[in-house]
Amino acid sequence: MNAWLRNHPWQADGLLAAALLAVSVSQIAAGQASPVGHAAFAVVTVLLAATVLARRRYPVAAFAVAAVIGAAQIAFGVQTGGPGPVYALQPTNADVAILVLLYTLAAYRPRPVSIAGLVICLLGSAVAIARWSPAHGAHPTGALFAAAAGLGGVTLAAWVLGDSVAYRYRRVYYASLEERAARAEAERDAQARIAAAAERAHELQDRRARAVDESAARLRRIERDLHDGAQVRLAALAMTLGEIKENLEQSPADHHTLDLVGAAHQNAKDTLAELRDLARGIHPPVLDRGLGPALGILAGTSAIPVALTVTVTERPSPAIEAMAYFCTAELLANVTKHSGAGHVMISVAEPGSGLVLTVTDDGHGGARLVPGGGLAGLLERVQTVDGRLQVDSPPGGPTIVTIELPRHA
Amino acid sequence: MTAIPECLRIVIAEDAAIMRDGLTQTLTRRGHDVVAAVADADALREAVEEHEPDVAIIDVRMPPTHTDEGLRAAQAIHKDHPRVGVLVFSQYIETQSATELLAAAPAGVGYLLKDRVADVSDFIDAITRVAHGGTVLDPEVVRQLLTASRRGDTLAALTPREREVLSLLAQGRSNAAIASALFISPKVVEKHIANIFDKLGLAPDDNDNRRVIAALRYLES
Repeated sequence: MNAWLRNHPWQADGLLAAALLAVSVSQIAAGQASPVGHAAFAVVTVLLAATVLARRRYPVAAFAVAAVIGAAQIAFGVQTGGPGPVYALQPTNADVAILVLLYTLAAYRPRPVSIAGLVICLLGSAVAIARWSPAHGAHPTGALFAAAAGLGGVTLAAWVLGDSVAYRYRRVYYASLEERAARAEAERDAQARIAAAAERAHELQDRRARAVDESAARLRRIERDLHDGAQVRLAALAMTLGEIKENLEQSPADHHTLDLVGAAHQNAKDTLAELRDLARGIHPPVLDRGLGPALGILAGTSAIPVALTVTVTERPSPAIEAMAYFCTAELLANVTKHSGAGHVMISVAEPGSGLVLTVTDDGHGGARLVPGGGLAGLLERVQTVDGRLQVDSPPGGPTIVTIELPRHA
Repeated sequence: MTAIPECLRIVIAEDAAIMRDGLTQTLTRRGHDVVAAVADADALREAVEEHEPDVAIIDVRMPPTHTDEGLRAAQAIHKDHPRVGVLVFSQYIETQSATELLAAAPAGVGYLLKDRVADVSDFIDAITRVAHGGTVLDPEVVRQLLTASRRGDTLAALTPREREVLSLLAQGRSNAAIASALFISPKVVEKHIANIFDKLGLAPDDNDNRRVIAALRYLES
């Protein structure tokens, strides 16, 4: 029932208006005035009942109309002296509409408005009783008080009832406000956490890039130190030993010493070669001249003919160049060892913001990424800078390994 | 080498003092005149301008960038002073740099791995050849060229002895040097060379430098 009333406000108010009319029908019927007076009375009654229909949408206007009618009734409907009361403005049962509208004001409008409505109603009641009693002079004081208390009580009750409904609404409204505030705060918290996490990720990325760059720079320094230090000293030593050896060969000498010097000379030369390979493995110096020349040397020393295309307009960071170089070296070594290929194609391009390295061979295929394998090692290395590695190697070949690298770590 | 050593006027450009001093002393002991020993490319240019030496020995990596200053200086000197031989020596073999250097004008140009200083007489022999307008290419460069050559099929048609001859020829050796290195007579060397050029489809050429270039172009193509 309640739910139906809530869901069908127009019908509910229609029923209310109908009920108000219904209780007023006997009054319309019972009057002894002229037909015009009857008709006018009926119009006023219907108007009063009709205000109820507008109560939800225009509560203040509806109340004002009802209050004006009520005031007119008090002014002219209960007149004691003079020309006598106007029949049409006699109080009617439909005046209950005023109470309904007061209730509506209290329930749906701010307190100051509803209090104003209450004051108007109470004043109206007082004036009505005051004007009413002289006409019925016989009324005892007790009855007057009872009437005042009754009318005032009913008015007050209507207001209190409405106000309590408003209070409930307000509580629900405040609760929803509170909930919304709490939700907003939680959202703000979550956003702050996300922002902090993003900042942290950024910071870690920066730190990782620095670490990668520093490590590349350190390797380059080590190679240069080897080149300027140990390698040069060893070459000078080998040269001196070579000179001693040749001097001993020229003069009739102690063969044992000559053999010893010969062995030392050979050792020095072998060590030079080993040191060179070691240094090149740390950082190939040709990388300082760019990826193109460095890969050119790899291609030039490959046992399998290599077709090399490097189309890079702007040099990536040294760490990325080194990574591309070592990946190519490893892939080329794989091709030589395992693929049975007759030709290799190496290309480095920059289709987007990054670098794409492709190594294609016409071997028998079947290369796979297996944990602990060479390709998996490459993948791991590439992933340290958020790079990607793809292997396409169907049985029977060809094998295409694609590595994508950013320009900077 | 056994004959009275000729006195060459030499400029050395090498940024590592120990190697610069070692080379100077060794060459001086062998009767050569090291007219200047410098540490960078600019000083090298000045020394060459000033002394017009027979040969300049140039390290590839020198200040300021330690990449290929020496190589570029060698190319410039070779262009501006064709009579000055340039011998570039490098810690690493860079086939491309070596062949580029030689391809421009092979007369009086050499490219050697730094390690070669250990075999003093061979090294001085190389300096002498360059000073005399010859060509010197490191055996390792030649080996890499032969390995990586896309002409593998044709090269496979060569006999092992012909490959040896081709290798020495590409290093810039004369017929006589090849003959003595392989313990065969110069006549046999000539025959081998004729066969090689025939098999590779190259026009025979008696000029040592030109045939080095022909061989290199062939191997690189």
